[in-house]
Amino acid sequence: MSIIKYILDLGATVMLPIIIFLLALILGEKPGRAFRSALTIGIGFVGINLVIGLLVNNLGPAAQAMVEHMGVHLNVIDVGWPASAAIAFASKVGAFVIPIGLLVNIIMLATRLTKTVNVDLWNYWHFAFTGALVTAATGSLTWGLVAAAINAAIVLLLADWTAKMVQDFYGLPGISLPHGFSAAYVPIAIPLNKLIDKIPVINKIEADTDTINKRFGIFGEPIVIGLILGVVLGILAKYDVKGILNLGISMAAVMLLLPRMVRILMEGLIPISEAAKAFMQKRFQGREFYIGLDSAIAVGHPAAIATALVLVPITILLAIILPGNHVLPFGDLATIPFMVVMVVPVTKGNVFRSILIGTIVIGVGLWIATNVAPLFTQVAAEAAFKFPTGATEISSICDGANPLTWVILQIMRLF
Amino acid sequence: MVSMRKKTILVACGTGIATSTVVTEKILEAAKKENLDVNIIQCKVSEIKSYAEDADFIVTTTILKDSFGKKSINALPLITGIGEEQVLKEIIEEIKK
Repeated sequence: MSIIKYILDLGATVMLPIIIFLLALILGEKPGRAFRSALTIGIGFVGINLVIGLLVNNLGPAAQAMVEHMGVHLNVIDVGWPASAAIAFASKVGAFVIPIGLLVNIIMLATRLTKTVNVDLWNYWHFAFTGALVTAATGSLTWGLVAAAINAAIVLLLADWTAKMVQDFYGLPGISLPHGFSAAYVPIAIPLNKLIDKIPVINKIEADTDTINKRFGIFGEPIVIGLILGVVLGILAKYDVKGILNLGISMAAVMLLLPRMVRILMEGLIPISEAAKAFMQKRFQGREFYIGLDSAIAVGHPAAIATALVLVPITILLAIILPGNHVLPFGDLATIPFMVVMVVPVTKGNVFRSILIGTIVIGVGLWIATNVAPLFTQVAAEAAFKFPTGATEISSICDGANPLTWVILQIMRLF
Repeated sequence: MVSMRKKTILVACGTGIATSTVVTEKILEAAKKENLDVNIIQCKVSEIKSYAEDADFIVTTTILKDSFGKKSINALPLITGIGEEQVLKEIIEEIKK
């Protein structure tokens, strides 16, 4: 046991490559390829750490200055899903999440509790994230692992439950979406959609997808969002012109660089992911099952894009006007499609309704993200991500604002 | 060896990172086996408009409404693993054109 503890205490950039190396060998990968893949993952973490530094060191002081000058208390930086995923995988729960996720899936398939074979190993980070928050809140690694397993099980059930709807709406036969973030919004969207059915006038409104995609197209380009937000924040922080322009370019850089760094992590994970896929498909072939994939495969749908584009400015506005919110939306303004991708089929592609539901879940989500910010920051610090001490807290919309994550966290805290 | 212009492929998915990285790696691997050199641009589906001009054809794992006059290949089988060979063959043929 002391060896395991020693490895866990080495820090994410060392610990995870070791675990990935061993896991790849167990899944039958050649040592050379396993080593390369493990090393690549370590490099990905180093890269993400550098870019988070760039983000927090630039945006942090600007957010503080804005608080002083404007009285707008948005001092929790939304670091976005790339950073959240890295932090989750780098946590102690993250070290175990792949075997745990696979095990939960295998048990549920064997007992016929699920039809979904979740081959989307990358998105196991959502379960690790929940587990990491629980561990930070309870001080217990065991409870964190239990929380991750529960989250994985719930998401499989949600994937089964929504499979028919997703398959019909998006034209994806044989596929389900066991996505920790996207699927979490379905149980909320269904009652809200029924409620909208009952409101006269509102229940008749449709929005034109093409017009929205043309008018709001700019919100689909992360680097442009980064530039604009950087410049606007610079102005609100009363920087001089040089400072404003520099902040603009730096924030555009973060929007491009952070996902690029995560891509390195992804590359490292591919051999394991492929090996696990082959293993699972061999074991459960011949049965009727759904292949569980990343909801990224559906976000290209025009109705999902249109909904997400309109929600970008709405999110920023909500962040400013909502009392009690301290989250400064940034990194996850590019992630909103994932929030709505499984809501859109619930409304049968009605963009107006999807926007309405999106506005509600984002509003509540900002409170949740504010609420988990101290824990989020603690988890990040423990995973050895660099922060300027004291002043800045971080959170994210994906998964800092995830209602399912939050509910699991609150329940586990009772123990 | 017939001299060919190096093709540029636009690989798009929902994030520009997740599934498109898997697809990119598989295309590069398949192209290498055939001794083909390709250029790959990875992007989000909402960014296709900005990059389409530079691409010879588009490979995507998600739903594509407008391919901006370029040929597009759906690479979802590369993610599910079902029908993978067929799609890779189609992509290689497109590179050789």
